[in-house]
Amino acid sequence: MDMILAAMGDAFTWQALLAIVIGTWAGIIIGGLPGLGSVVGLTIFLPFTFGMDVITSMALLIGVYCGSVYGGSITAILINTPGTPQSAATTFDGYPMTQQGRVDEALGWATFASFFGGVLSCVLLIFCAPQLAKFAVNFGSIEVFALVCLAMLCIVGISRGSLLKGLVCGMMGFFFSTVGSDPITGADRFTFGTYALSSGLDLIPVVVGAFALSEVFVRFSARDEEATTIPEARLRFPNLREIGRRLIELVRGSFIGSFVGALPGTGAAAAAFISYAAAQKLSPRRANLGKGEPDGIIASESSNNAVTGSAFIPTLALGIPGDVVTAMMMGAMVIHGITPGVRLMVDQAQTVYALFVVLIIVNVAMLVLSKPSIGLFRYLFKLPLGFVMGGIVMFSFIGAVSVRGNPLDLVVAALTGILAYVLRRGGYPLAPLVIGMVLGPALESSLRRGLLISRGDFLSFFTHSGIAATLFVLIGLFLVWTTMAGVLDWRAKIAARREPVSPSSSRA
Amino acid sequence: MFASLIHPRVLTALALLLAGAGLSITAWQGPASAMLVPRIVLTIWCVVALAILIGELIRRVPVKRVTLTPLPLLMAAILIAAIATASLGFLIPALPLVALTLWLFRIRRPLPLLLGTIVIGGGLWFLFHHVLMIRLPALLTNGVI
Repeated sequence: MDMILAAMGDAFTWQALLAIVIGTWAGIIIGGLPGLGSVVGLTIFLPFTFGMDVITSMALLIGVYCGSVYGGSITAILINTPGTPQSAATTFDGYPMTQQGRVDEALGWATFASFFGGVLSCVLLIFCAPQLAKFAVNFGSIEVFALVCLAMLCIVGISRGSLLKGLVCGMMGFFFSTVGSDPITGADRFTFGTYALSSGLDLIPVVVGAFALSEVFVRFSARDEEATTIPEARLRFPNLREIGRRLIELVRGSFIGSFVGALPGTGAAAAAFISYAAAQKLSPRRANLGKGEPDGIIASESSNNAVTGSAFIPTLALGIPGDVVTAMMMGAMVIHGITPGVRLMVDQAQTVYALFVVLIIVNVAMLVLSKPSIGLFRYLFKLPLGFVMGGIVMFSFIGAVSVRGNPLDLVVAALTGILAYVLRRGGYPLAPLVIGMVLGPALESSLRRGLLISRGDFLSFFTHSGIAATLFVLIGLFLVWTTMAGVLDWRAKIAARREPVSPSSSRA
Repeated sequence: MFASLIHPRVLTALALLLAGAGLSITAWQGPASAMLVPRIVLTIWCVVALAILIGELIRRVPVKRVTLTPLPLLMAAILIAAIATASLGFLIPALPLVALTLWLFRIRRPLPLLLGTIVIGGGLWFLFHHVLMIRLPALLTNGVI
């Protein structure tokens, strides 16, 4: 307890609080701009921290990180363009709600779910970090493979009405993730002699092309229609009764995010899709998911923000970053004299707890700053459509090329944009493409490492450990459930067709 | 029959099948260990694309009347600007691209078009490249433009 109080004393300095406000607000704006995201935000702010003390510098970076994860949801809801890959799942229900004129409700739920997920994961982090770190260590390659397979099944859920098209897009995304050097043997794959392709296709240019540029094309082809005008951004927080009705969804999303974030090599985007897949099976309002249901936004936003807290578990306790963003945060910690690893909790416990307190303050700051930030987007989107689209094209270009400084990424973004436009016109859902690309590398590396461990015997995956067996049983249940639901749906349709038309209805 | 074959949905499915098949050939020619997962992925891709193609042919969705639109011009401009960035740097291809985008989205009065191009194209480039020091591709080796 003394340790926590001392840590609070470190975190509640005016310098740290100012850094939190600036970082969080800037993070929300950067996250909301399509193509930019947590990595770009951290890249911008990292040089500013060099002259600061440890807690103030980490407060600034944590503010940017958490703010950008939340900010991505704003454009996902307003213009169907996720500011960050972590918010891709928010478009499934956020944009339909905007089209239905419920933009204030959608933004309110996104903000509250982000706050709830962030705070709950921080509380879990404070009390359960050592235990979660121990449990996360039990996840070897085979367990991660089973977990990612389970997450991949959400392609089935989000491809309602066009399962085959969703599946082919998922495979396309998975294929994109295999381009470049093979992670195990180092052999070049699908580079066609182009050296620049050896480093593979980055997720950001593909997401920028698939969502932001294809959105520009879609809006261009329908620029005379009324629906292309961007709605005015407003925010209405849910009241206590509404929160009570959806409390289980909030808690479930936050727990999934906290758990997935604690596993090395996963990240917020994977957590959002896993949580969305869980909502598709467990939400009492699951029939409305994908049509503008707040449960979908809650599942995505509570889990991706919960990752921001729990991702620090493998980073701090094991010295293993969960994703690119936490890897950057780890680099920043090392610059400021914090050495993540198993000795950190023993040697620098007060600093670690101060970081946990900073995380909680950042989430509160995010809630407070959400309204003025969304107000800024309101003015931004009041501009004529041409200026907004010109801005999206420019931000997409900057976002695509600034990740790795590779001009080929721009070509990838442009080609993906054209491909995504053609696919959208053909009724192909784009979300599975992103899911395939996000989860593909984890699935491939865990499968091949697992095969090396089991000496090529895939069947031994099912009996490798209790965790793996449980996850495979869940996958089996999901497949049986989905197949049965499909067969029942098909039989109901056949029966409805065979039913004789009543005379009154035929007259009408 | 021929009319249904040139339906955009059928052509999309056919293009996906051909792309999948072409990539599969590359995958089967590559090293077995590195290509294990791509082979599985591309096989599923081809099978599903074939099923989609058959479905689109059976469904026979009526063909919409084709209208001329400048959308391919916008797509081509974005692609050309993306390719040109590697040799011309970021700023030079970005300015005409932004101007064309504004013009196509019906911002055609000279002053808003010029100001929009300078602020959105040049301003954002200056902000990121020179103020925030996020180095974008440059024409000159010293990185000024």
